[in-house]
Amino acid sequence: MASVELRDLTKRYGDVAVVDDISLTIAHGHLVCLLGPSGCGKTTTLRLIAGFVEPSEGEIRVGDKLVSSPTHSLPPEKRNMSMIFQSYALWPHMTVSENIVYGLKLRKMDRETIGKKLDAILATTRLAPLAQRYPGELSGGQQQRVALARALIVEPETLLLDEPLSNLDANLREEMRFEVRRLHDAYRYTTVYVTHDQSEAMTTADLIAVMNAGRIEQAGSPEEIYDQPRSEFVARFIGSSNVIKGKGLDAARIDFAGTPLRCSGAKINSGAPTPVSIRPHDIGIFATQRQGENVLLATVVRQVFLGGSRDYMVEAKDGTQLRVLTAAGENIPQGSAVWLHLPPERCRALNGQ
Amino acid sequence: MTTVASTVPVARRRLGFDPSKPVLVAFAVILFALIVMPLSWLMFYAFSSKSGGFTLDNFHRLVTDAAYLDPLLTTFALATLAALICCVVAAPMGWLVARTDMPLRRTVRLLVTASFVTPPFLGAIAWELLAAPNSGLLNQLYRELTGAGQGVHLLNIYSFTGLVFVISCYTFPYVFVLVANSLDRTPGDLEDASAILGGKAWDTARRITIPLALPSMLAGALVAFLQAMTLFGSPAILAMPAGFHTMTTKIWSLFQFPPQPELAAAASLPLLLLTVLLLRAEHMVLGRRGYSVVGAKNSEPRIVRLGRWRWVMLIAAMLVLMCPVFLPYFALLNASFSKVASHLVWFNNFTFHNLHFVFYELSATQLALRNTFILGTLAATVGTVLALVIAYVHVRQAVSGYRVLGFLATAPVAIPGIVLGVGLFFTYTRPPFVLYGTLWILLIAFVTLNMPAAYQQLQSAFKAVHPELEDASRILGATRLRALWQITAPLLRTSVIATWCFIFVGVIRELSAAVMLFTSETKVLSVLIYDLNESGDLAAIAVLGLLMLLITFGIVALANSLKFGGARRLSAPS
Amino acid sequence: MKGSKISRRDVLIGSSALAAGASFSTKVISAAPPASAVTPALVEAAKKEGKVVWYTSVDLKLSEQIGKAFEDKYPGVTCKVERTGAERILQRIGQEYSANVHAVDVVNSSDASHLVYWKDQGLLAPYLPEDVAKYYPDEHKDADGTYASFRVFLCVIAYNTSLVKKEEAPKSFGDLLDPKWKGKIVKAHPGYSGTIMTATYQMSRDLGWEYFEKLAQQNILQVQSAADPPKKIALGERAIQADGVEYLIHQEKEAGQPVEPVYATEGTPLIIGPNGLFKAAPNPNAARLFQSFCFSPECQQLCIDIGGLRSVHPQIKEHTGRTPLSKIKTMKDDAAAVLKNSEQIKARYVKIFRV
Repeated sequence: MASVELRDLTKRYGDVAVVDDISLTIAHGHLVCLLGPSGCGKTTTLRLIAGFVEPSEGEIRVGDKLVSSPTHSLPPEKRNMSMIFQSYALWPHMTVSENIVYGLKLRKMDRETIGKKLDAILATTRLAPLAQRYPGELSGGQQQRVALARALIVEPETLLLDEPLSNLDANLREEMRFEVRRLHDAYRYTTVYVTHDQSEAMTTADLIAVMNAGRIEQAGSPEEIYDQPRSEFVARFIGSSNVIKGKGLDAARIDFAGTPLRCSGAKINSGAPTPVSIRPHDIGIFATQRQGENVLLATVVRQVFLGGSRDYMVEAKDGTQLRVLTAAGENIPQGSAVWLHLPPERCRALNGQ
Repeated sequence: MTTVASTVPVARRRLGFDPSKPVLVAFAVILFALIVMPLSWLMFYAFSSKSGGFTLDNFHRLVTDAAYLDPLLTTFALATLAALICCVVAAPMGWLVARTDMPLRRTVRLLVTASFVTPPFLGAIAWELLAAPNSGLLNQLYRELTGAGQGVHLLNIYSFTGLVFVISCYTFPYVFVLVANSLDRTPGDLEDASAILGGKAWDTARRITIPLALPSMLAGALVAFLQAMTLFGSPAILAMPAGFHTMTTKIWSLFQFPPQPELAAAASLPLLLLTVLLLRAEHMVLGRRGYSVVGAKNSEPRIVRLGRWRWVMLIAAMLVLMCPVFLPYFALLNASFSKVASHLVWFNNFTFHNLHFVFYELSATQLALRNTFILGTLAATVGTVLALVIAYVHVRQAVSGYRVLGFLATAPVAIPGIVLGVGLFFTYTRPPFVLYGTLWILLIAFVTLNMPAAYQQLQSAFKAVHPELEDASRILGATRLRALWQITAPLLRTSVIATWCFIFVGVIRELSAAVMLFTSETKVLSVLIYDLNESGDLAAIAVLGLLMLLITFGIVALANSLKFGGARRLSAPS
Repeated sequence: MKGSKISRRDVLIGSSALAAGASFSTKVISAAPPASAVTPALVEAAKKEGKVVWYTSVDLKLSEQIGKAFEDKYPGVTCKVERTGAERILQRIGQEYSANVHAVDVVNSSDASHLVYWKDQGLLAPYLPEDVAKYYPDEHKDADGTYASFRVFLCVIAYNTSLVKKEEAPKSFGDLLDPKWKGKIVKAHPGYSGTIMTATYQMSRDLGWEYFEKLAQQNILQVQSAADPPKKIALGERAIQADGVEYLIHQEKEAGQPVEPVYATEGTPLIIGPNGLFKAAPNPNAARLFQSFCFSPECQQLCIDIGGLRSVHPQIKEHTGRTPLSKIKTMKDDAAAVLKNSEQIKARYVKIFRV
């Protein structure tokens, strides 16, 4: 096992940089999620790590070993990695057992060891009764577990997962998220996990790298990514966020709809247009007038009762609409004037573009 | 308790009945007449004595008389060898075009298509021009180069080996296409999964790629075997001079005067039986392993870099393609403009006379061309419509008997052309359906023979159109037929056109059934060429053969241009 | 067979019918029709019909030329030439008539016994062209006027002069059995060619079947039509033909190809190719007109000049450079015997040559 390090990694197809100057260090035994919308370059990054694609620039190191560079690239079969494909890539002409022990056979292990390891992994993944079936005879969840078993049994230095849960239905997906994390905690392989589903990333990852247009927008722990988004893209992509467009007043405040708002986060330049994000449940909403800093007058456009909470859409004086989530009991009719409180520590000034 | 009194409107039954059911029944009847009737008569005759009573004598004679047993064994050996050669040559070629960076891969595919649409009997005649032991162009060249004397030859096409070679030339595309397509469709993930687990290129090829392509190769080999077994033209042209019979030429000779139809019928049955058995066996071999690939996303296959070998491989592929395409086409072209078919065209013996002869003196040319066009158009149209309806019924399971329809439409796969010819001859030379001597009987033969392929094509096309597209139209008030016409039909247009062209080309190259069923008024191009070969008029054949190829390529090009032009616009959003 | 119900055997003309036909062939009915001249009325009637269909085993080039000459002489009547081997013509007409398809007007076969057979079946119409009545010897016309010897030719040995020197060329059928010719002989098949059927009969009668048994050891190239061997030796594919039509050798030789006929010392098989017209001809008048044309000196001369054939019409001129028919020793023609023995000949031939 070893750490994985990407240094100034770039992959171009023609003029298009699909992966654009990425640097990322994955500590030994950590699980990193590459999170982003489709087409952001996350799968290509994964395939670069696996060695299926050679970089145009930059390099990849596993431990101290250079595995990929524009001039030299170790073929995938020599990297001692494992991968779970989005399609699972189970070989349809082999049974479940044959699929799973394939890697061990390539490593020329003796029959007995293979048998033991197989039994163990079949038990862990609860596949024992299906061992003699063909992949075509399995359900999606079962196939996913076979893919997992096949990848884990070889005890790789690095485990790569490419959207492994995207073909499962919602319930199973939720269950398997925890399963992946549990297995990771048990084996502690250095793991790179590609997904477009933020809750999947939140549940499983030690570190999330949010990717957009071939670049890493922000990398950090799930909490950091959620609480302290650095860009509008991250703010919107992770959970829902209101992003309001203000204008810098001084180093700590912006002007929004005629009201000065004190913000945290990025440095604010006075006079510069500055986007600020705030999550709907962080906004306080009051039917009676409130005084103080970061209080804003608005009108209720509509509101919906959600059972556990109440979802408001309010409009500020300049026409900007904001979503606000409150406790269910707070029932303010449509059309009423309301006072919003935006706590300064929750207003994240973002890097403007 | 409160009663929720939502008024449910009584479903309005459409009073005018849905005409689709009777249409479907009619199609079932047609299929029955096309397939079941000829085969029943064939059976009947096979078990009949000359006086009309029941007998097993025909079969007894078949297995005891060397005159029948030898051709049977020869045919088996021929087909097996041809299938083997096809696999050895075509499977690697399929891999080269699908999985490597060999240059000109598209061109190679195109050239294989060219050999696929070349009528095998034309290829056989062209190879006569090339490799007849003394007059063959290649043998002349060999003698020229080596200074060998008269009577020395490199190749002898009039031999069992020669026949196997020529048949392989025109059956290898089946293996090639199936293997290449299968490799195209196999997701690269499956190979990547092996690589990342430590599989080296060879391990991956041996344990993943080859086993996955194996069923396609097997299927291809099976088709090649069946083709080789049931081919009539090539053996009729090459086996007789070599002094042996195959089963098809034997069956045909049994219709020489005095005809022995009972024996011919009995001799047909082993071909039929073997075909059915082989098709069953294929299912058994594949068994439970679903070879259809699991999983949704189709990832790009990883291309194998051949490095310096890419040019070597290209040369090898081109050398293979010399045999079915370059050399025979050259020989035909040469013979068309040469005073003597076996002499290389040069300034002193260049002539337009052969062209003049074929188009102005040979009175059968026009008739044969016209008949071929009429039959091609009719068979393609009727066949496509028939296949379309049956495919629809089967895919949408529209009537309870849909399985029977599907089976009937696939059944002709098991019927060799010459056997169908014999069966149709029995069926339609007697009241109430006396069709012999008309184009109808040929139409029936051509439609029947092309039905399985047409049906398969359209069936997969239908599967690609989600039934909800049709349902959406029906829920808005369209009848089934209207939904079919307005929604499904436009989406299927490309496949339908491709199928149409496929049948048309199939009709142009069909000989084995036509030779049993034609009369002077209903002669087609393939039969005309066969007749000309019998009297050794090679120059006329060369001209007609090239004409035939031109028409074929025209049709194929048309199909392709429509396919590429219309496909993007018409592909359903996914 | 004789039952009142139509048996399914009637669908095809089987060998039983052939046997029946053969037994009738000896009966003599002398009722020759009067000679018919080509009248303007006949020409008019033929023009109304517009076409004539001629099934023939004459070589393609000549048959198309005859058709063209006919069309030139009688504009408005097209001649559809259906050329194929004589045995296949027999098979085709059998198949067609059994299915009630009447497509053929006039038939020509290089196997004279076929005409005997059709006549016995009652399929041929009596018609005696003026030329036949006036000029043709009796042995070359049917007593009942249903057919006459349209063409006469020989089935000859021949060789390619650039491959074989004149001194070394075979002189007789016996010479062909010399081992030096092994693998150098091309031969046509009696199962497909009427010419070869007739020749095989005459040779088996005069030379015995042992000749063929020995010939089969010579590794021959077996082709179907009697028109094919001359083309194969002209191409140089084989050096010698054991049999094949003489007229193509004439044609090829006169076109400058290196071929030469050999008139065997044992005698050369004489082939007679009669023309006859069918009762159920779809174009009866055009058929008559065409039949008359075929026996005219004009057409017969065409047969000789272009076709390289022989003719028994006394008004024609033999071609210089060809050995006149009168100087060649020929075997004796016997159509009735061929008819009687054809099935047995084919069976025996297939046994010997294995195809």
